[in-house]
Amino acid sequence: MEGMKKVRMIKQKFTERNSKIKKKIDSVKFDTHWFRRVFHTFAVFFLMYYILPDEYWIHILKNSISVSLVFFVFILEYLRLKGKISGKQFFGLRVYEKNRVASYLYFGIAILILLLFFPQQISIPCILCACFYDPIIGELRHRFRNRTAYSIGFFICILFFMVTWYKANIWIMIAVSLLGAGGALIGEMKKVWWLDDDFAVQILPAVLILLLWQGLSLIDINILPGKIIFPI
Amino acid sequence: MEEKKIEYLELETKNEKLIRVELWFAPILIILPFVLSILLIWSWVIKGYLTGTNIYDQEFFLAIIIIAVNIMFDIPFIKSLRIHK
Repeated sequence: MEGMKKVRMIKQKFTERNSKIKKKIDSVKFDTHWFRRVFHTFAVFFLMYYILPDEYWIHILKNSISVSLVFFVFILEYLRLKGKISGKQFFGLRVYEKNRVASYLYFGIAILILLLFFPQQISIPCILCACFYDPIIGELRHRFRNRTAYSIGFFICILFFMVTWYKANIWIMIAVSLLGAGGALIGEMKKVWWLDDDFAVQILPAVLILLLWQGLSLIDINILPGKIIFPI
Repeated sequence: MEEKKIEYLELETKNEKLIRVELWFAPILIILPFVLSILLIWSWVIKGYLTGTNIYDQEFFLAIIIIAVNIMFDIPFIKSLRIHK
């Protein structure tokens, strides 16, 4: 009898402590603004794609995981827009995204296109632009005038392209950095309702550099430097 | 501050939502970029620094950029967390 009582007491204490912890966790409130910013910077993790070994089955696995992830997000977004899932379950959505495809789907599709169809020398700086340039510009716009914010952002973008292309010929590095940063800047500045800037910031510079690379390769000039990230 | 409130869809109170996705996401959002950076630095140290090769230097630079920007945004994010009473 004594033993049973002790066990019951321990159980009760455990339950009380658990519910206290749960209450504490539930009471944590997030700032939407910073949550969105961190969501952007987190997306750089998708560069993990290049760290994974390039063996045949791993290559298939990482491609299928990437496609499935974006497909899952697509279904989720479809259900939200159809009203099957309450939009209230999605934290941090902007007002203009209520009846429109949310930017995280655009972001996911753009990253997927870059990972699957572009060489890493082009895709890595473009992914860096989307992950870092957008939140940095956003914060700068809170503190400075738009023109100042975009100018600083442009130089940050140039830095991303220079770091990833510094092994190329210096003139090529400068040309690619200006072209890429310009593309990202236009992608960020020109807002249209049917295309999110998270998509344009990644795809526009990538397409411009791809055209430059392919155009020059027609006259037997290969501007693409060596790999940036090597598989483990 | 007022401007920020208008920008986003109205948030739910804690009892209205069955799953607080953001709560489970938050640690992942913070930790994973650092995991990537550590892997990049590890790869650079093992394959590049210790062998004296500079092909892997870009992995190191990339890791530094990722760490710096993530810290820049993680700190205000963590600071912005509030306990709702």
